[in-house]
Amino acid sequence: MDKLDIPQGTLDLMILTILAREPLHGYGISQRLASLSHNNFQVNPGSLFPSLYRLEQDGKLKAEWRPSENNRNAKYYALTAAGRKQLEQHRQRWERIAFAITSVLEGA
Amino acid sequence: MTLWHRLTSVVRWMFRRDEAEQRLDDELRSFVDLSAAEKMRDGMAPAEARRLAMIELGGTEQVKERVRRYRHGGLLDEIGRDVRYAFRMFAKTPGFTLVVVLTLALGIGANTAVFTLIDALMLRSLPVHRPGELVQLRMGDPGSTEPGGESFSNAIVRGLAEQRDVFAGVAGYSGGGFDVGPSGAVSRVRGAWVTGGFYGTLGLIPEAGRLLTAQDDERDAPLVAVISYGYWVRQLGRNPGAVGQILQVNGQPVTIVGISPRGFVGANVGAIADLTMPTAALARLEPQAAGLLEPGNFWLRVLARPRPDVTAAEAAARLNTVWPQLADQVIAKHWSASRRQEMKSLVFQQSPGGTGWTYLRDIYRTPLFILMAVVGLVLIIACANVASLLLARASSRQREIAVRLAIGASRGRIIRQLLIESTLLSLIGAALGTQLAWFCGYVFVSILSAQDSGIVFDLSPNWRILAFTCVVATATGILFGAAPALQTSSAEPVAALKKNEMIARTRSRLLPSLISVQVALSLVLVAGAGLFLRTLQNLQSLDPGFSAEGVLLVDLDEHPGALPPALLDDVRRLPGVVAASLASHTPLNGGYWSDAAVPAGQPLPEKDNAIFIGASPGFFPTLQIQIVSGREFSEGDTAGSPAVAVVNETFAQRHFPDRNPVGERLAASVNGDKRDLEIVGVARNTSIAGLRQAPPSTVYVPYAQLNRNRAGSLAVRASGALGQAVSSLQQTLQARIPNMSIEVRPLSTQVAATLVRERLMATLAGGFGVLALALSCIGLYGLLAYTVAQRTREIGIRMALGAQSKRVVGLVIGRATKLVVVGLALGLPATWAGTQWIESMLFGLTPTDPMVLLGSIVLLAASAQLAAFLPARRASRVDPLVALRHE
Repeated sequence: MDKLDIPQGTLDLMILTILAREPLHGYGISQRLASLSHNNFQVNPGSLFPSLYRLEQDGKLKAEWRPSENNRNAKYYALTAAGRKQLEQHRQRWERIAFAITSVLEGA
Repeated sequence: MTLWHRLTSVVRWMFRRDEAEQRLDDELRSFVDLSAAEKMRDGMAPAEARRLAMIELGGTEQVKERVRRYRHGGLLDEIGRDVRYAFRMFAKTPGFTLVVVLTLALGIGANTAVFTLIDALMLRSLPVHRPGELVQLRMGDPGSTEPGGESFSNAIVRGLAEQRDVFAGVAGYSGGGFDVGPSGAVSRVRGAWVTGGFYGTLGLIPEAGRLLTAQDDERDAPLVAVISYGYWVRQLGRNPGAVGQILQVNGQPVTIVGISPRGFVGANVGAIADLTMPTAALARLEPQAAGLLEPGNFWLRVLARPRPDVTAAEAAARLNTVWPQLADQVIAKHWSASRRQEMKSLVFQQSPGGTGWTYLRDIYRTPLFILMAVVGLVLIIACANVASLLLARASSRQREIAVRLAIGASRGRIIRQLLIESTLLSLIGAALGTQLAWFCGYVFVSILSAQDSGIVFDLSPNWRILAFTCVVATATGILFGAAPALQTSSAEPVAALKKNEMIARTRSRLLPSLISVQVALSLVLVAGAGLFLRTLQNLQSLDPGFSAEGVLLVDLDEHPGALPPALLDDVRRLPGVVAASLASHTPLNGGYWSDAAVPAGQPLPEKDNAIFIGASPGFFPTLQIQIVSGREFSEGDTAGSPAVAVVNETFAQRHFPDRNPVGERLAASVNGDKRDLEIVGVARNTSIAGLRQAPPSTVYVPYAQLNRNRAGSLAVRASGALGQAVSSLQQTLQARIPNMSIEVRPLSTQVAATLVRERLMATLAGGFGVLALALSCIGLYGLLAYTVAQRTREIGIRMALGAQSKRVVGLVIGRATKLVVVGLALGLPATWAGTQWIESMLFGLTPTDPMVLLGSIVLLAASAQLAAFLPARRASRVDPLVALRHE
């Protein structure tokens, strides 16, 4: 199946949403994103890692190194309080956008 | 919070960059590990799983590069790496780097130097409260755009100060000098006369004591003075009890009431005022100059601070509304009705006053702008020079650049790297250049102080100079770096890796044209310098009609009546003194006295029409001014004897064109008194008012017959060693006039002082012309040396085929000649256009003076030949065998 391009500006929202449930490492995030999107989205590490680093530097995420499920050391990302706030804002905005687009499509 | 977070993360990351890189590596490796492990769990072979995982990641380096770019400070990081890389490149080619940096240091330094002077003279604000609010007042004809007169009478300043609904404060001031100290140990202190509102208007806070107020500027107020912080430190050793001390000023006790704040040395830029006194004290301290306080004398500059609620335009409008009625009170009563009306019809003008006032501004504005243009050209030459050096070096970097392009660096990235290199070079050059700027400033001030030893300028760097230098340096870096960067990075990697051909082809057009441009600009600068040099020579070799050699001057503030009676005889008896006399004015002393004088029977003109000089017997022999007809003044011409005059040739020709004027009578106004003078002699014309001016009509009258106090000078002609005459004169005068500081100076320095502007232009333009010439020659040398090195093989083949070394030399010299001829052809019209601009500053020659132009061309051509000689000789010594084995 062909993958979809991740819409501009939504990667951060999806990362924050995924990490809101539990801390994950980079590979885990990309896998979770694929499965949650029913394999429609496949995030490229060249986009994922820059986003993770920027969110971490902005204080939305915190990271720690700990053993993974198969006993390898991996860097786990988790939301900070600021990250939660950002997620809430992004989510509300996204719902408005989705509602708006849906209304337009249905009303037309 | 977020901003703080970002800043700290940038800083943290900058200091722990290596650690962060390591972490990123680890993380990406763990990504691949996890991904491969999952694939193996699905039953894939380990090697295959790993390969797929790597593909999934999409290249470690690419991911790292993108992370770096998105991370805060990522750009900073890349620039930091470019800077480090640039320094490694510089270290690899130290000779090249040195030449480039020195060239840029000269170019940028020259610009900083001239800008520093412009800044010191015109842009620096006075260290006062809100200097931007201050306005300088002038008066001019209504409707005229010309700036009006900037001097005002004491009465007008007082009248303006009363306009409280317009101005919060009005300050009138003028420079002056005082004889300070007890009798017999008097020294000259530079100072200023100010009106009572001076310090209040400027809003200064005293270092100690209080500053002058309106009460101090009343006719009978106690004599008080404010000293400068510098004077307090230098002369009074920071004595805490200085305030309240009594100073002997011009023989009168004056109380120090305060010390002005540190850094403030008066409102006259370039002149330090160590002692400041209210104008009202003038009548008691300098009785002979008391006339300045009368309404007919315009001698005060005015700075005013409009009230905060009044705009500049409103202030001007209100002032001009009240002026007609104010004028009736403040215009001199004895003026004729027409002159009063003329004065009344003038209007006030305002200009920003925060930078203070200096007469130097009017004199040096044009010269400094010309110099700014000159150094601008020097910088362009330096840029062209460095650009050609970079282009020449580009071939050796072609391979390196090609490799970087091949492994995926973008062209923009390469251009940025090259521009960072050139900007760095130019910043290093600028740092060195500031040293040169300092030296130039020193030269400038030392030339200026020949005119006025009291000239002091603050040439210390400030933010404006720093900003100027940085902007110039950055622009320079981009200017000279752009062409080489674009060219170097445009190469096709594959072709470039194979050969250097492509560069060689494009360079062959750009490089030589850079050389020709340098030659053209150099011609402009060398010819300009030549014109200034010849102007100075012409003025120096001019016969002024008097002989300054061996003449010593002493300014005497006292009227001869107050001088010891036999003073002149005592001076004449000193060993080595040939002649001595008193005169109201000495040649080229900057001041003059004009009055009306016409043949008897004609009406006296309203306006002055002749220069008057009061001279004692011996004046003409002292200055060696020839008496063409009749006699000079004698001891018999006293206050009681018939009034006589000596006129100069111009006066004689103008009024008595067909006869000898000796014995004729003149109707004259002398210091306002109608006089009937008998002409007893005709003197040769002298350049008394200025070397450039034609000698004006001049009337000499005996000093003894002057009807009014007039300060004058003692002129002494000495033979033999002047130093001895100076000291014996000094001792004799000091013993007889203990209350005055005696300063003996040669007339020749007074003459030289009138040529300060010309000397300045000749020195600086000459210096920059030589610099331009040297830079162009280095550029030409560099290009030829490089071409010879590149064509070693070709030259070798030619020589192996029998070409003679003479022909090879001819080849190189011929190429140089072609470049120079093209440059000269471009330079001639440019020179013509450029030198029209300085025509008004020249003397005795026109901008198209053939000798100067020819000389400049010859000088340039000869220097170019010299520069071409070394590479040509190297070419002629190419050994065919060595050359062919090369590569």
